[in-house]
Amino acid sequence: MEQVVVNGLYLGAQYALIALGLTLIFALMNVLNFAHGQMYVLGGFVTYTIYGQMKLPFVLALVCSGLTLAVVGAFCEKFLFRPVIRRSKRDESTMLLAAAIAFLLDAVILLLFGEKQRGVPKIINGVFLSDTIVMPYDRIVVGVVAIVMIATFVLYMQYSKTGRAMRALAQDRVAAQLMGVNVERYSMIGFALGAMLAGVVGGLLVTITGISSGIGGPISIKAFMMVMIGGAGVVGGAIAGGFILGMMESVGLTVLREFGDITYLVIFVCLMVFLSIRPNGLMGKPWG
Amino acid sequence: MGNLLSLKDVQLYYDHVYALKGVSIDVNEGETVALIGANGAGKSSILRAITGLKGIRSGSIRYDGQSIDKAGPDVIVRMGISMVPEGRRVFPLMSVRDNLLMGAFTRTDKAEIRQSLEMVLARFPRLKERYTQAAGTMSGGEQQMLVIGRALMARPRLLLLDEPSLGIAPKLVQDIARSIVAINREDKVSVLLVEQNSRMALRISQRAYAIATGKVALSGNSAELLEDSRVKDLYLGGEV
Ligand SMILES: Nc1ncnc2c1ncn2[C@@H]1O[C@H](COP(=O)(O)OP(=O)(O)O)[C@@H](O)[C@H]1O
Ligand SMILES: [Mg+2]
Repeated sequence: MEQVVVNGLYLGAQYALIALGLTLIFALMNVLNFAHGQMYVLGGFVTYTIYGQMKLPFVLALVCSGLTLAVVGAFCEKFLFRPVIRRSKRDESTMLLAAAIAFLLDAVILLLFGEKQRGVPKIINGVFLSDTIVMPYDRIVVGVVAIVMIATFVLYMQYSKTGRAMRALAQDRVAAQLMGVNVERYSMIGFALGAMLAGVVGGLLVTITGISSGIGGPISIKAFMMVMIGGAGVVGGAIAGGFILGMMESVGLTVLREFGDITYLVIFVCLMVFLSIRPNGLMGKPWG
Repeated sequence: MGNLLSLKDVQLYYDHVYALKGVSIDVNEGETVALIGANGAGKSSILRAITGLKGIRSGSIRYDGQSIDKAGPDVIVRMGISMVPEGRRVFPLMSVRDNLLMGAFTRTDKAEIRQSLEMVLARFPRLKERYTQAAGTMSGGEQQMLVIGRALMARPRLLLLDEPSLGIAPKLVQDIARSIVAINREDKVSVLLVEQNSRMALRISQRAYAIATGKVALSGNSAELLEDSRVKDLYLGGEV
């Protein structure tokens, strides 16, 4: 029982970080970033290259994963989304663009890193053992880092001037403009921040589960599920969605194991029933 | 009394439909100027043109001796023009405090921002009582006070107000009108006030323009317009 909870928390923290990035981009720009999973994969391969191949410190690799994706995110916003949003009022345009970026990143990642699953040396050896819990130390470290990052993100959004401006922009674009918020600049910052979160989680998880070029799509789908559970564009919703999905997966993998690989089937069914009752998710309101 | 804001022959279009077809208005330093007129006349469009929310087709807008008709909203706020938009538009999920701090977004001196905050809270004591409450949960009148306070947090020289009395309880309309007068006289902020409540607007302004179908139909001294038979028929009929 305790084991299931701890696994769920560890997984949920990673998921919540992914969902936070996705929901931030959605709240600020009304863009569904279908390439979010690919950004995660790219982050994983950056850490793989710097820490796994070049044998440089893991912390440095993780920072590089974040920075690389921040640059990729800023670039996507400035040169791809911004011109499309300026010319087209239809939401489908940005969706198609995001899907195209996803395919492009998939192709680039495949070209650069091949199709093999890649892993890196453990960041810490050893396993924590108690009467009820077995948890490798590296998972504990990765989980704690993720939770600290979630807390930092929430505090940053709540108390920094930039965070306040991003919340204002999400709640009322016109009013935010009238306060002097430069919409283009803050959309770029928000996109960079969202992509950075995806990249950092990729860098964290490559040390546990490894990384391969094909998992971008499935990660995006999980991210969308979390955001739908919590309610799109809401910080608390993304965090809740992340932990709920993490917990469901953890429970499913334990309880449903004897029935075969049906955890995600059950999760999808639950999600469909849930969304038919609460189409806006748990906290379906714009930003919180 | 120097000229602060001057629109000359401003034309503004939404796609291919005009909203303003040659509007010229002036606001002098220290004045309260009212824009009255029916729904759809183009009053909000005039304010949108001034703040840079909407680009103009032709004409010119000058503020403090500079041309501002190509500048975006974020530049214009920094030049000293704050706008209270129609329909209040608080940041609904943010606290009163955070809403007010957003008003000071363009400013950096923390001590001075704190000072402005105290001034705004002194002007609107109700906001002090609601300080940590989410703005979206307040009454319409309180939200109106909040957005006026928020605009003042930018320390403007010119305050644009778009229908501050709309949908507000009659008792509070008086309070809001009094605040606008105080802001103009005590804080030395020039005011351009858009109102459908023409009587209130003409009472608290020195000059006024009546806007009809994208043009200035009438203009002059507010006290005289209050007595003008055309104004009475068109804009004051039925109102108390
Ligand atoms: N965003 C918009 N798109 C198209 N037409 C608009 C838009 N906003 C206003 N209009 C039109 O422009 C005209 C002037 O509107 P507005 O300036 O809002 O008038 P007022 O504030 O005096 O009620 C109206 O005919 C209105 O229908
Ligand atoms: Mg209007």
